[in-house]
Amino acid sequence: MSAGMERRAVSRHLRLLGAQMRLSMLAALEYRVGFWTEGVVGLAWSLGGVVPLFVAFEHRSDVAGWGPWELVLLTGFFLIISGVYASAVQPAVSKSMTQIRTGTLDYVLLRPVDALASCLTAQFEPWSLLEALTGIGLVIVAAVELELSPSLGQLGALLVVLVSGLVSLVALGVLMLCASFRALELQNLTSLMETLLGFAHWPISVFRGPLKLVFTFVVPFAVMTSYPAQSLIGGLGWPELVGAVGTTLALAIGARVIWGRALRGYTSASS
Amino acid sequence: MSSGRVAKLGALWRLGVAEAAAYRTSLLIWVLATTMPLISLVLWRALAASGPIGDYDQDGFDSYFIAAFVVRQLSVSWVVWDLDSQIRTGALSALLLRPVHPVAHHVMFNLAALPLRTALAAPVAIVVLLATGGISITANPIALALAIPAVVFAWCLNFLTQLAIGCLAFWLTKAAALYDVWIGAYVVLAGYLVPTSLFPHGLAEVARVLPFHAALGFPVELLIGRLSTAQALEGIGLQLAWLVAVGAIAALAWRRGLRAYGAFGA
Repeated sequence: MSAGMERRAVSRHLRLLGAQMRLSMLAALEYRVGFWTEGVVGLAWSLGGVVPLFVAFEHRSDVAGWGPWELVLLTGFFLIISGVYASAVQPAVSKSMTQIRTGTLDYVLLRPVDALASCLTAQFEPWSLLEALTGIGLVIVAAVELELSPSLGQLGALLVVLVSGLVSLVALGVLMLCASFRALELQNLTSLMETLLGFAHWPISVFRGPLKLVFTFVVPFAVMTSYPAQSLIGGLGWPELVGAVGTTLALAIGARVIWGRALRGYTSASS
Repeated sequence: MSSGRVAKLGALWRLGVAEAAAYRTSLLIWVLATTMPLISLVLWRALAASGPIGDYDQDGFDSYFIAAFVVRQLSVSWVVWDLDSQIRTGALSALLLRPVHPVAHHVMFNLAALPLRTALAAPVAIVVLLATGGISITANPIALALAIPAVVFAWCLNFLTQLAIGCLAFWLTKAAALYDVWIGAYVVLAGYLVPTSLFPHGLAEVARVLPFHAALGFPVELLIGRLSTAQALEGIGLQLAWLVAVGAIAALAWRRGLRAYGAFGA
């Protein structure tokens, strides 16, 4: 492919992203009650999930080596992840699942853009970003309260694990989407993922044995919430950093390959 | 009850069982999506490794959360989503024409999925039973006998709450979203994530008289033998009081709602 064509392909994808975002934005502004039903309720839900952590402090002075403000920091990163899931991953995956079920995915496949890019931008729920914004606020408050002054290296590590966490979240979304090609009733897989995200509320050091391995390398909740917090507090070493990037790459490449195979198995509504 | 009515309810039951069987995969995922108590089990078990928390040690948490998982599976219903969409799309009109009350229709459909749901949840529960210290059930025969009505009342309480909130769809377009608010409070206050007795003083006492606790925490504590007979009877009385209150609201909302119902052709 020549450089000119490549540039055109990139701009086409960016235009698609822009158009889909704009449509979702306009729809969200039409239904302003969504601020309450999606934004505020979603935030309350996520904060409700933190209650057990603070109940634990009633009986203990630390939770698996984490103090109260350190857990607030972790909760901030959890809200960012959970907000991105609720506003970008879950809506797009659900919408695409409906398209697979009804056969309207045909129209998506006909577009002159990558089908996966099209599916992943299919829908966006801006109100749920309230959760992510609150998360950023909590991270800042906790960082001030803990008197953290992260070095450039630490900020770099934070950036790496944060991007890794978000990429693995999207990759897990793609895998759910692939599963729904196989069985049409797998629509509620996204609810299952929401339940599983409950594990990400807690620091990885709570877990032992096989669960610790699963949450570090298979469904890497550690990379999503514990590592970002650790990178600021100063407990994140090179092994964790390399592990996070490796796991993310494996998940992303695996998801892309499985997506290709799943798509080949798609028979559309008409055939 | 006349035999005609029994036949109608029997037909609805068979219909509900058939529907549950047709959607067995999604039912299985719903079972897995309500494994939150098992997630809590793992976490609290890990925290209690260095000594008991409050009056719960590791085995105590095992018993509590396995029981919570079982009670949750047995007391679940989804009438709020069905009713919400039926009112919005007008599908309720067809139900109103049938010779059975629409609420009876929903009761039968929700109950008919329970056997299959139990069968799907059983392997999960058995794996957890084997992987952890297991569950110790109350040795008090009276408490054990009272646990049965407690679970039945918990189901009724969930169903009536959903019915009352679902009826709001007669006036609002997004009644099911309001139920999210309710379930959010339930998750925190019912003892779904943490036994309410571990809450800080003051908050614990308040949480334990709310309907959320009556719908989950109370039957669970009764089942694992954490309540005396007197406390058990008190809890049943509280459940009945909430049932009367929520039931009255649901009945009122249903009657008023039907008058406001303006679907196509209604």
